[in-house]
Amino acid sequence: MPLHERDIHYFIEVTLAYLNKITGNEIVVRDPTIEFQSLVFSAYTGLIHLKGDAEGFVYLTASQQFLHQLHAARHNRGRFSEESSRDVMSDIAGTIVHNVSKRFGTGLTLSEPRIFSTVPDDPIEMPPAVFVQPLLWRKEHAYFVMGLSSAETA
Amino acid sequence: MTGTEIYKRTAAYEQEARTIRLHAPQWKLLLAYDGQRSLAEVALSADVSFAEALPLTEKFLGSGWIEEQPITLDQYLKRTGAPDISAIGASIPPAVVLHEPKPDAVVPPVPTSTPPPLAPKPVAAPASITPPPISAPVTKSHGPMRLNAVVDYITSLVGNTALGQILVYRVFLRIPPELLQAEEIASVHLVNDTSLIRSEALQKAIAQAVNEVARRPLPDGVYAAA
Repeated sequence: MPLHERDIHYFIEVTLAYLNKITGNEIVVRDPTIEFQSLVFSAYTGLIHLKGDAEGFVYLTASQQFLHQLHAARHNRGRFSEESSRDVMSDIAGTIVHNVSKRFGTGLTLSEPRIFSTVPDDPIEMPPAVFVQPLLWRKEHAYFVMGLSSAETA
Repeated sequence: MTGTEIYKRTAAYEQEARTIRLHAPQWKLLLAYDGQRSLAEVALSADVSFAEALPLTEKFLGSGWIEEQPITLDQYLKRTGAPDISAIGASIPPAVVLHEPKPDAVVPPVPTSTPPPLAPKPVAAPASITPPPISAPVTKSHGPMRLNAVVDYITSLVGNTALGQILVYRVFLRIPPELLQAEEIASVHLVNDTSLIRSEALQKAIAQAVNEVARRPLPDGVYAAA
């Protein structure tokens, strides 16, 4: 049985809640788009595959500056490196997995988050349409992207 | 408000009409309430987005110029395309949600810098997944379909902008990619997309997808004049 719109939107809510917690509710949510021909990737991406009640993937992709600012907001100091970028992205993706798993239980299987920079090593199959939710924080961009299989609408 | 409410102008409006001062687009909306069409349909016919129509409708309600028009069970069933439950022995009419939380505020579109896209992999057309449509898809000839009107209409069905946008996504998951490519539509902006869809095949596919996913027929107001 396909997930309700509210359930699908929960992925975005979880992501926003986590980012807003760190940024003090400074995340600006821009108008979303539906993309049919391409996926959007920024500097670092945390990708999660979905199986079960929903089939497809979700990921957050963000510029290095976006992650740098998040890192600074959390730690207030410390050297920022490529590893830090991956750590920040890993934390976000891990939070999504944790919260979504808690809500949906065994009906939805989530993969371990895959963190990569620029574009994925293994190509991601383009679903018929992807939902792209742009986020903005202090002039830096991140994108929440969701790609569900067409069977999801059954 | 969910967009399904039906409003009519009041006697108070008739008395005050000559003294009311409004901007022209607001008059267009105010004069479009006819006690028959839903708020979503009225907004479309007045060329006002659903997001704009909501506060104006509240303003008109607050001024006492319009009031909600109750409808009969038969009218409700006709509008929703649902079967007449009395025919199957049910005794309780379906609930009509009259008031729901306001949709989220819509942020005005701002250009975004988009990172370079990944080259797409070839995509197979989605399998046909079809609960039977409630009413026949588009059969008569129309002018171009206004994409923003389609998006606004679908969004209005949920009564919450964010969830409505997810419903729009579900609708477009059902559209065969080759039809979108043929019309050179690479993306849909969920606020103020000015694209016009001229291909009849794509219009029909969208109308059918709305019918299947949202269980509502598209109103004629989504089409521009031929």
